[in-house]
Amino acid sequence: MPRIKTLYFNELEYTEDSPFRFPAGIPGFEDHTAFLFVEQAHTSPLVFMQSLRDPAVCFIGLPATSIDPNYRLQLSPEEGIALGLPWAEQPEIGQEIFSLALITMVEGSDPVANLMSPIVVNLKIRKGIQAIQLGSVYSLRHPLAPEYQAAPCS
Amino acid sequence: MLVMRRRAGESFLIGAEIEIEILEVGPTRVKLGIVAPAQLAISRKEVVLTRAENLTASKTTDPQVIAWLTRKLGPRRAMDTVNSLTLDNKEKSLNNSVQKY
Repeated sequence: MPRIKTLYFNELEYTEDSPFRFPAGIPGFEDHTAFLFVEQAHTSPLVFMQSLRDPAVCFIGLPATSIDPNYRLQLSPEEGIALGLPWAEQPEIGQEIFSLALITMVEGSDPVANLMSPIVVNLKIRKGIQAIQLGSVYSLRHPLAPEYQAAPCS
Repeated sequence: MLVMRRRAGESFLIGAEIEIEILEVGPTRVKLGIVAPAQLAISRKEVVLTRAENLTASKTTDPQVIAWLTRKLGPRRAMDTVNSLTLDNKEKSLNNSVQKY
């Protein structure tokens, strides 16, 4: 089985069919066309999106529906085709489609998640894109902290 | 901000070299044609914003940040698992497709 060096998990062994192909990369990382999605029990619900090309490139994400249970995709026809979903209706997040919001956290400020441009993958054909939801009601920097601060401290 | 009204088929210039033509006006979108020097990058604003956000996100790498996030997101997890059947399905499909350690 192939192995890769990762940013957070040292060396990982993975099966050939587990990486997701991003034929166009994602904006800013156009050369990164394959990612491994890694979930760990002790960092749940975070999902790590590790580039196979460069061990230093690993995004941290959260399932979009775990941030907003009513989260809806609004893919353009081109994005649908890129995901192997050439029909007109919008795909539901679920068995076949998984959506990840990338997290940004700059020192001194609260973490935010990008719900405007979600990573969307087709779990069956293992292809992914970063969808850019035009006229999106979702924010590029959706704050994660305030809701959690509302919960009582233990 | 300069505001002007144009119909389909009309155009305007920015400087001497950039021409923008309104090709088609739909109920919710307009189709534009842009003529500009090749060395000038033309990008949709959402893509530029996404690229900048991705670059910042890729620098969110401090293990302490992850520990902090996990701590902070903990309560949300508890809320999720109480939720519906669809979430169970989602869990299953994820289990099959995401590397687990």
